[in-house]
Amino acid sequence: MSNSNARTRSSCRRVFFLLLAAQALAQDARQIMVEVQNRARSNSQHYEGVLKVVDSKSKVSEKRWTYDRIGSAGQSKVILRFTAPAEVKGVAVLVINHPDRASDQWMWTPSLQRDRRIALQDRSTRFFGTDFSFEDLEERDVEQFDYKLLGEEKCGESVCYKLESRPRKTKVSQYSHSFLWVEKERMIILRIEGYQRDRLVRRIQYSDHQKVQNIWTPLLIEVEDVGRKSKTILRTDKLQYNAPMKEEMFTLQALRRES
Amino acid sequence: MILLRLLSWPYVRKHKLRTSLTIAGIALGVLVFVAMRTANNSVLYGFQQTVERIAGKAQLQISSGETGFPEEVLEKVQALPEVEVAVPVIEANLNTGRKGQGNLLVLAVDMTGDRSLRQYEFEEGEEAVVDDPLVFLAQPDSIIVTREFAAANGLTTNSKIRLETMDGPKQFTVRGIMKSGGLASAFGGNLAIMDIYAAQKVFGRGRTFDRIDLKLKPEISLEAGKAALQQALGPGFQIEPPSSRGKQFEAIAKLFGIAASLNSLFALLIGLFIIYNTFAVAVAQRRSEIGILRSLGASRNQIRGLFLSESVIMGLVGSLLGIVLGLLLAQAMSGYISTFLSEIYGVAQHTEEIAADPLVLVSAALIGIATSLAAAWIPANDAATADPVKAIHKGAWESFTDQESRLRLLGAVAFIIVAALCSFTGGKSGFRLYLGYLSVVLAAVMLTPAAVKCIVRLLRPLWRWLLPVEGALATDSLLQTPRRTSATVAAVMLSLSLVIGLGGVAAASYRSILDWMTAALNPDLFVGSSEQIADRSFRFPPEIGEQLQKLDFIDEVQMVRSARVLYKDTPVMMVSTSLESLRRRIRPKAVAGDLEKAYREAARGEGVILSDNLALQHGLKVGDIMEISSPSGVLKLPVLAITIDYSDQRGALLMERSLYIEKWKDPTVNLFRVYLKPGVAPEEAKRRILERFAQERKLFVMTNQQVRDYILRITDQWFGLTYMQIFVAVLVAVLGIVNSLTVSITDRRRELAVLQAVGGLRRQVRQAVWMEALGIGAVSLVLGLLLGAVILQYYLDAIREDLAGMRLDYYYPTRIALLLVPTMLITSFVSALWPAETAVRTSLVEALEYE
Amino acid sequence: MIQLESVSKHFDGKRKVTALDQVSLSISKGEMVSIVGASGSGKSTLLNLIGGLDRPSSGEIIIDGQSLTKISDDELTKVRRDKIGFIFQFFNLLPTLNCAENVALPLHLRGWNRKRTEQRARELLELVKLGQRLEHLPEELSGGERQRVAIARALAVYPPILLADEPTGNLDSHTGAEILTLIRDLHHRLQTTILIVTHDMGVAESCQRTIRLRDGRIIEDLRR
Repeated sequence: MSNSNARTRSSCRRVFFLLLAAQALAQDARQIMVEVQNRARSNSQHYEGVLKVVDSKSKVSEKRWTYDRIGSAGQSKVILRFTAPAEVKGVAVLVINHPDRASDQWMWTPSLQRDRRIALQDRSTRFFGTDFSFEDLEERDVEQFDYKLLGEEKCGESVCYKLESRPRKTKVSQYSHSFLWVEKERMIILRIEGYQRDRLVRRIQYSDHQKVQNIWTPLLIEVEDVGRKSKTILRTDKLQYNAPMKEEMFTLQALRRES
Repeated sequence: MILLRLLSWPYVRKHKLRTSLTIAGIALGVLVFVAMRTANNSVLYGFQQTVERIAGKAQLQISSGETGFPEEVLEKVQALPEVEVAVPVIEANLNTGRKGQGNLLVLAVDMTGDRSLRQYEFEEGEEAVVDDPLVFLAQPDSIIVTREFAAANGLTTNSKIRLETMDGPKQFTVRGIMKSGGLASAFGGNLAIMDIYAAQKVFGRGRTFDRIDLKLKPEISLEAGKAALQQALGPGFQIEPPSSRGKQFEAIAKLFGIAASLNSLFALLIGLFIIYNTFAVAVAQRRSEIGILRSLGASRNQIRGLFLSESVIMGLVGSLLGIVLGLLLAQAMSGYISTFLSEIYGVAQHTEEIAADPLVLVSAALIGIATSLAAAWIPANDAATADPVKAIHKGAWESFTDQESRLRLLGAVAFIIVAALCSFTGGKSGFRLYLGYLSVVLAAVMLTPAAVKCIVRLLRPLWRWLLPVEGALATDSLLQTPRRTSATVAAVMLSLSLVIGLGGVAAASYRSILDWMTAALNPDLFVGSSEQIADRSFRFPPEIGEQLQKLDFIDEVQMVRSARVLYKDTPVMMVSTSLESLRRRIRPKAVAGDLEKAYREAARGEGVILSDNLALQHGLKVGDIMEISSPSGVLKLPVLAITIDYSDQRGALLMERSLYIEKWKDPTVNLFRVYLKPGVAPEEAKRRILERFAQERKLFVMTNQQVRDYILRITDQWFGLTYMQIFVAVLVAVLGIVNSLTVSITDRRRELAVLQAVGGLRRQVRQAVWMEALGIGAVSLVLGLLLGAVILQYYLDAIREDLAGMRLDYYYPTRIALLLVPTMLITSFVSALWPAETAVRTSLVEALEYE
Repeated sequence: MIQLESVSKHFDGKRKVTALDQVSLSISKGEMVSIVGASGSGKSTLLNLIGGLDRPSSGEIIIDGQSLTKISDDELTKVRRDKIGFIFQFFNLLPTLNCAENVALPLHLRGWNRKRTEQRARELLELVKLGQRLEHLPEELSGGERQRVAIARALAVYPPILLADEPTGNLDSHTGAEILTLIRDLHHRLQTTILIVTHDMGVAESCQRTIRLRDGRIIEDLRR
C-alpha cells in the first residue's frame, strides 16, 4: 500500500518535471515560429506565379495566376486570379483568413458569372488539380497551432530546427500534425510534411530563397502529394512586398466586379 | 407412387396435348403473377439501387417537393454543428435523343466538395483525368460520363455530346470518364456528372438546389440529426434517409401492384377452370380403370391420392414453366414500366436487371400447385367415390344431377343477394366493393350451366339453319356435356368480361379525358421546353412569357408552373397560373363548390381548387383546410372547389401563380398556355414564335391538336396494360376452347367414328366440330358481354374508391364488344381447326373398337 | 358383288403383325356369308376392309364393280354410305339420340329432308319391329332392341351389302337367335348381300356359306 503510494508520488514528480521541460521546449518552438512569421511579415504581397503540375505519368500541365495579399498573420486576404490557359482565364479565388478559425474561400467562374463558396468541409480536397489543398493556400498563423521543438537536423548545407505542429481545436485541418524544418540561420521554412495520423500526405519544399525587399522569400515551392505520386511546382515571379493595395479589392463584390 | 408410374404416366403420355394444355393453364396463371410482381419489384429495386448509389455515404437528404429551395438553405445546413458534410444536388433526367440509349440522368454536384460523400472513381486511375478540375469548373459545358455510356456512344475525354437544355440542344464536353461500378452503375450507367452551378444555368434552375445530401458527425444519431435539421429549417422540407425515397416510389407503383394482383388472380381463376375441366374429363375417361383398381382392392383414398398427386405434379410443372416464362416477360415489362414511370412521373430510375424475389417465386409455385389441387379436388373425389360396378357406365357424369343443379342455383341466388347487399347498403368501402365483385363473379359461374343450356337451346335452330346436320350434332354435343361445356364457357366468359370491364374503363377514361380536354385544354398553342408537356426538368424565366405576350398575334399568355409540393409529407402536383385568366378561358366540370366564386377567391390567393381524384385520395371536401409545405413555411389554404382535372394522374391542386411565387420564391415557368388573336392560324403562329426565339432559346411549340394527341398517346400507354390483359383474355379463350374441344373429341372418338362409319363425310365431321366450337364461342360471348357490363361498374367503383380516385361515367365499350364478336368467333373457329383435324384423322377401326 | 384379290393387311407395331395374308375371295350378290375363326385370325380385319373402314396393305378390293384401292377417303365414305350398312357387336348407338334419331342419322348425313327422313326412320324401325319405340333413348332399351335399332340404322338407305361384326356376341342366346332370325328375314325380303363375322357356330351354320380363317388365310370355304 505505502509502497505503491510512494511509487505514484515519484512518477508524478517525474511527469511534472517532464511537463516543465516540455513547456520550455514548446516555448522555444513557439518563439521560433513567431520569429519566422515576423521575419516574413509584410503588409501586402503581389506576385505572378507559374504552376506546373506533374502527374504520376509525368504529364505536365501549366497554369498561371496572379497573387495579391493584403494584411498579414491571420488577418490577411488573398485573391488569386488565373490568367492562363484560356479555358480557366478569369477564374478567381478569394481567401479571407481569420486569426481564430478556418478561412472563408470563394471562387468566381466568369463563364457562369457567379461565385461559389468553398465550404469548410472541402478544404482537404485538392486545389483545382494542383497538389495544393485548399487548406495549404491558407496562411499558417502561429496562433492556430501548438508547436513542439523536436531537435535540430542537418538539412542540405545548413542546420534546421525540426518542429512538430498540431492544430488547435479552433482550427479545422486535414492534418493531424505536421513536421516543419526551419533553417536556423535565416529563420526560414525549408520543408513542411503534413501527416494524417502516421501517414505522410503532403510534402512542401521551399527553395530558391531570395531576399526581396529585405524578406527572404522562396521563389520555388514544390508540393508533393505522396499518395498520388504527383507534384506541383510553383515558381514565383515579379514578387513585390508592401505595394499599396486597397481593402475593397478583397471583397466578394470586387471578385464579381473585377472579372 | 407406383400407381402414378403405372397408371398416370401412360395416360399422360397418351394424352400429351391435353396434359400440355392443362399445364399451360397453370403456367399462364403463374406467369402473369410472376411477371407482374417481378416487373414491379425490379422497377422498384432499380429505383432503389439508383437512389442508393447516387446517395453514396449520404445519411439524410433534404428536399422540398420538386420545387427545390434557395441556395441559402445549404449554408444553414452546413453551419449546423451536427452536420459533418452537406452538399447540394440537382438531378435532371435528360433525353439523350439517341436511339436505344433512353434517358441520361444528370447528377449535378459541387465538385469542389462532393467527394467527401460520393466516390468518383475515374477512368485511368487518376483524378487528373477530369482533365483539369479547374477547367471542369470554369467551363459550364463540362460533363463526366460513365465508362458504359462513353463506350456505348463512342465518347472519350474531350469528345462532344449534344444534349437538350434550356437553351436548346447544346454541346457538352466530356471532361472525365468514371470507372464502372458504384456510383457509375446508378441508373444503369446512364449517368452523367456536371457542376451544380453550371446545371443551374443549363436547366434554368435559378439559384436553387433540388436536394442537399448530408452526412452527420459520427456521434450524432440519425434521429437527433433529423430533429436538429427540422428545427433549423422549419417546415416545408422533407428530411429523410435516401432509403425512404423508395417508399414514395412504392406509392406510385401501387397502381401497378393492384393491377398485377387482379390480373394474376384472374389468370389463376381461369387456370382453375381449365384444370378442373381436364381432370373431370380424365376421371370420366378412366372410370373403367378406376373400377378395376377398386375391385382389385384400391382404397378410396388411394384413388383420390392418385389424382391429387397427378394434379400436384402438373401444378409443379406448370408453375415452373410459368415462373421461367414469367421472368422473361418481366424483363420486357419492367422496361415498359420504367419508361412509363419516368415519362409520366418523372421518376428517374433505370431497371437493370430482374429482381427475382424468392418469396414471389415460391409463392407463385405454391399458388400454382394449390390452384391445381383445388381444381382437381372435385374430380378426384368423384373418382374416389365412384361405385366400382357402375364405373363402367359412361356419360352420366357429363350431366348434372337435379340436386347439383338446384344447389348451383341456390348458390347463385345467395351470391346475388350478397352482391346486392354490398352495393345497396351504405357507402362503397373497399372491402364491400371487392366482396360484391367476387359475389357477382361467383354467381355468374354458378349460373353458367343453366345459362349455357338456355342459350344453346336458343342457338340450336340457328345452327341447324346454318348447317342442318352438323349444326344439330354440334349443339347436341354441347347440351349432352353441360359440365365440360360450362367449364369452358365459364373460363372464356370470365376472360371476356374482364376485357369488357377493362375496355370499359379505358373507354370511359378516354371519354372523360376528352371531355376534360375540350373544357380545360383550350389554348391554341402550348409553349414548353420539351415535347412532353409534363416535363419539368427545364424551366423558363418569366421574361419569356412577357416577350410572348408582346407578340402582336397573341391574345393572352398563361404562365404555368407545375411541380410536386408537399401535402402531409406526400408529394402532390401543384399547378400554379393566373387563375383570373384561367377562369375567363376554361369551363371545367365542377364536382363540388361554386366554381365561379372559387376561381375568384383562389385568384386572390385565398385557397386552392382541387382535382376530383386528389380530393378523393386524401378525403378532402370543400371547406377543408390544406396544409401545404413551402420553403416559406406551411400554407393553410381552404379547398374552394373540386373539379374534374386530369393534369396529373394522381391529382392536382390549382393555385394562384402570384401566391406560388411569393411562397416558393420561384418565378420560373414550365409551360406557357397561349391564346391567339381571332383569325390567327395556329401553325402560322407556331412558326412565328419559333422564329422569334430561334436566336435565344429552344422552345417547343405545340398546337392544341398536338397536345391532345400527346395526352391520348400517354393515355394509351397507360392502357397498354389493358391491352395486354385483353391479349391474355384471348389467349385464355383459345386455351379453353382448344382444351374443351380436344377433350370433347377424344371423349367422342367412337361417336365420331360411328358417324363416319354410317356415312358421315369428313367434311361433315369437321364442320360439326367447328360448329361446336363456334357454339362455345357464341355462348361465351353472350355471357361474357353481359357479365362484363356488371363487372365494369365494379371496376369503375374500384378505380374511384381505391385506385386512382378518378370519377368515370359508366360507358359500355360497344366498340370493343363489337370487336370481340368476330374476334371470339374467329378464335373459336381457329381453335377448332386442329381438334377437328384430329377428329377426322383417327383410325375408324380403332375408334370403333371398344375401349 | 364383293371381290378380293390377294388382299393383305399388316399392322406395324413393335412386332409386325400380318392380319390378312394374300386373301382372295368373291361373294356374289344376295349371298349370306358367315366368317369364322379364332380370335386374331383376321375376320374383323377382313370385314373392316370390305366395309372401307380401313385400307389393305396390298391387293385389291372391288365392291359392286368399284375398286376401293385408289379412291380418296371421301369417295370411300361415299361407297360406304351408299352400298354398305354396318352392324356392330356393341351397337354403337349414340346414347343421346333417341331411336328414330339414331336411325335417321345416316339419312341426315346424306342431307335428306326432315319429312322424308322421319318417314324412312319410322318405316325401318317398323321393319325391325320397334315401331312403338321411336322416342326411346338407347339406354332405355334392352340389348336385343338396341341391336335392332342398330340394324335399322344399317339399313337406312337399303344398302346392297350389310356387314355385321359379331351381331349376337353381346346378347344372350335367346335374343341372339331373335336377331339372327331378323337378319335372315331381312336377307330374304331385301335380297341384301350379308357378311356376318361370328364365333357362334349356330349363327355360322345358319348361313349358306361359311368362310373359315386362320392366321389371316382362308382355310375353308364351305357352301351349304
